[in-house]
Amino acid sequence: MKKIASAALLAVFCLVLGAAPLAAQAGKTSPMADPRVRQAIAYAIDMKAIVDNLMSGKAIVANSMTPNGAWKVAGLNGYGYDPAKAKQLLKDARWDPNYVLDVVYYYGDQMTVDLMTAVQAYLADVGVKMTFRKLEGDLGSQLWVPPADPVNGPSAVKWDMAYAAVAALSMNEYYDRFIPGGASNSHTPADAKLTELIKATHAIDLGAQKKAFFELQKYENAVLPEIPLYYQQVFVVQSKRLDRAGAPYGNEQFNYDWNIVKWDLPKDASGKKVLKTNGGPVSFFEAPFLNPGLFMSTKVLFDHLVVADASLTPYKGQLASSYKVSPDGKTISFTLRDGIAWHDGSPITPEDVKWTYEFSAKVPTLNAVFGSMLKALEGYQDYKEGRASEIRGIAIKGRTVTFTYATPDSNALLCFSQFPPLPKKHFAGVDPLQFQQAAFWQKPVGSGPFMLKEVSMGNYATFVPFKQYFGGTAKIDEIQMYPSGESDPNFSKNAAAGQLDYGYTKSVEDVLALEKLANLKVTPVDIRYTRLFFVNKFPKP
Amino acid sequence: MIAYTLRRFLALAPMMLLMTFLVFLGLELTPGDAVSFIAGPEAMANMDGSQLAALRESLGLDDPFLARYFRWLGGVLRGDFGYSLTSGVPIARIVAERLPATLELSAAALLVSTLLGSALGLASALNRGKALDQALTVAGMIGVSVPEFFFGLVSILVFSIELKWLPVGGRTRPEYLGLWDRLPHLVLPALVLGVSMTAGVMRYARASMLDALGKDFMRTARSKGLPEARVDLVHGFRAALAPIAVLIGFRLPMLIGGSVVIEQIFQWPGVGSEFLAAVRGQNYPLVMTIALLSVLAVLAASFLVDLATAALDPRVKLS
Repeated sequence: MKKIASAALLAVFCLVLGAAPLAAQAGKTSPMADPRVRQAIAYAIDMKAIVDNLMSGKAIVANSMTPNGAWKVAGLNGYGYDPAKAKQLLKDARWDPNYVLDVVYYYGDQMTVDLMTAVQAYLADVGVKMTFRKLEGDLGSQLWVPPADPVNGPSAVKWDMAYAAVAALSMNEYYDRFIPGGASNSHTPADAKLTELIKATHAIDLGAQKKAFFELQKYENAVLPEIPLYYQQVFVVQSKRLDRAGAPYGNEQFNYDWNIVKWDLPKDASGKKVLKTNGGPVSFFEAPFLNPGLFMSTKVLFDHLVVADASLTPYKGQLASSYKVSPDGKTISFTLRDGIAWHDGSPITPEDVKWTYEFSAKVPTLNAVFGSMLKALEGYQDYKEGRASEIRGIAIKGRTVTFTYATPDSNALLCFSQFPPLPKKHFAGVDPLQFQQAAFWQKPVGSGPFMLKEVSMGNYATFVPFKQYFGGTAKIDEIQMYPSGESDPNFSKNAAAGQLDYGYTKSVEDVLALEKLANLKVTPVDIRYTRLFFVNKFPKP
Repeated sequence: MIAYTLRRFLALAPMMLLMTFLVFLGLELTPGDAVSFIAGPEAMANMDGSQLAALRESLGLDDPFLARYFRWLGGVLRGDFGYSLTSGVPIARIVAERLPATLELSAAALLVSTLLGSALGLASALNRGKALDQALTVAGMIGVSVPEFFFGLVSILVFSIELKWLPVGGRTRPEYLGLWDRLPHLVLPALVLGVSMTAGVMRYARASMLDALGKDFMRTARSKGLPEARVDLVHGFRAALAPIAVLIGFRLPMLIGGSVVIEQIFQWPGVGSEFLAAVRGQNYPLVMTIALLSVLAVLAASFLVDLATAALDPRVKLS
């Protein structure tokens, strides 16, 4: 009798122990909240096989949000393919084999579907069921809504894992989205240690910043708040007749010192040096406040206060002849060059600079890093909420514009190397809410080495050297831009027909097609572009 | 005739209203709106609710469905088609810029398909059962079966990339000044689109001609001692033209709507490619205007077909 009672007690005890995690999965906590589950998923997926086969080796297996290079600590766990370890971790975490992971994505390409299918198979091998679906429509409201309670949830989104990409301008962009209560943190509950480590990466001193990132990466690697998958490279494509005059290959998706003024190529039959490229406008020129360097037109049309090197580190003045950063990082002053002009011949003034950054503060579709930089300015809130007519933290004295920050922003200088001043007089009466729809973006007036000559939307746009450019007149006589973009079959088709001297792409299909063309040279460049699974660790409602 | 025309035009109004309402409803039921396209998921992640609401308000997207529909309809009745939600350009200007390209391509393709299709159909019918007829029948089957995108890509590969005879795409180049300069750009897309449409016309023309050849009036014409060629071409082919005219008439709306596939493949900046971009971007003022023009074109084509049928076939009376 005593034995039966003990056995019964043991059975009840086991039942309670076994049921507890299941009960937790049913509502109180998310099954994804257990780091062992995330580690198991990382071990279960053979990313090397996926990269080698699905991506034809045109990507790099990731072990952190941070891409390989100077900003990454050595010795991180690569979570190499190990299904036995994955199974053990899932067993330890008491994974419910009946739970079906809901994985979402928003890319429309075949490779994404193939990747999801491969991941589904790998997870099935270790006993994890998974479905995947493509999100349509209002993506922001399906992906990035933070829960009302950033500590306990419940989740405001439906998915367990979201396949996404982070194309970071600054290193902080990778991790700031894990701060509790952040606008895009729909996935990670407050974690005091993680938050503390992220905040430390905002140090103004470069050495301290790097050290903080190293510590953060170690913690990230241990707990996997997200599951990094692979790093994409950008592939710079150029015709063999183009001479880049020794210009470095940098992150073509942003602005850096590529010295296009010195680029050269042979004359064509008409005696002109014509550079043909892609990315021509289909119905408007892209404004540079969201993607400041993604489009060729913005790269050649607009100069910036400072210029960055190929690693996106600002290193010298561009429109500014000099600049000065205070030791505490709270003040940055730019002195504009004398005699600089817009493409319509009118002078570039400090008022243009001040107006641009004040106006941009009211544009809703801003790059996240740029938006954070503006928010840190003194008097930003008063201006934004209509209590002040200008931002107190932007002051003009002679040809010097000074930006004063309430809290120093480690990316401020980087922003001034990416987001260009615009000519104030061309935006009179423009509603910041309809910035991109302004007539200016049909025929933009810039400050860069090339000015717009002619545009036929959907056909072509031509650019000629700006004679008053402070950096000298470009050697190329004309740039012809035709409308085709990344993952667009017209890109490789135009290249095959000799209609491409320069372009860039991240698409594996594009690269495989372009590499076969004898007249082209394809150069891979490591960039800040990480593909990953965001993992929703909040319980579902 | 006048009363008939008047009745047809009066019937147009309710049909057009219904069609525009259905298109607007279709757009409304599609997930997301123009803001999600303009901003994209990453930018939207950094926008708070009030920013999104302000953006929607500035574009007039915050009003209820019916209010937006009737505002658009009211604008159209006043001759105001609105402006593009993505570029801010007036719709009338976009259509005025894109329509000539589509008209140029579609008219050329219609011309190619009509002339080629009719001639081959006629030749096929007159050689019924012979080698030529069988060869053309097989060619017609292939023409109907092969998708135009495949035909387009193969043509580009052969004539643009390998032989370098014709441009790879686009309607014009910076250095071009007039139609003569631009003509090489038109040849390939017009031929691909035209030849794709030829098979249908050819099969129709063959069947129609065979039907005409068996009629009594053909025997009468021969009995009058007329040469065989005149009997076939003047008497037979004229009678066979009515059904062909119907088919061609119903293809006229393509002049407005364009061919989305061909315009995409040949980077032809016409209405079709603009329509595709507008649908993807939920740019409803542009989608609605192009849809309205297409509906108008279909109804007008239907009316023209009636007129042509009556003109070509004395048995048909408009009433």
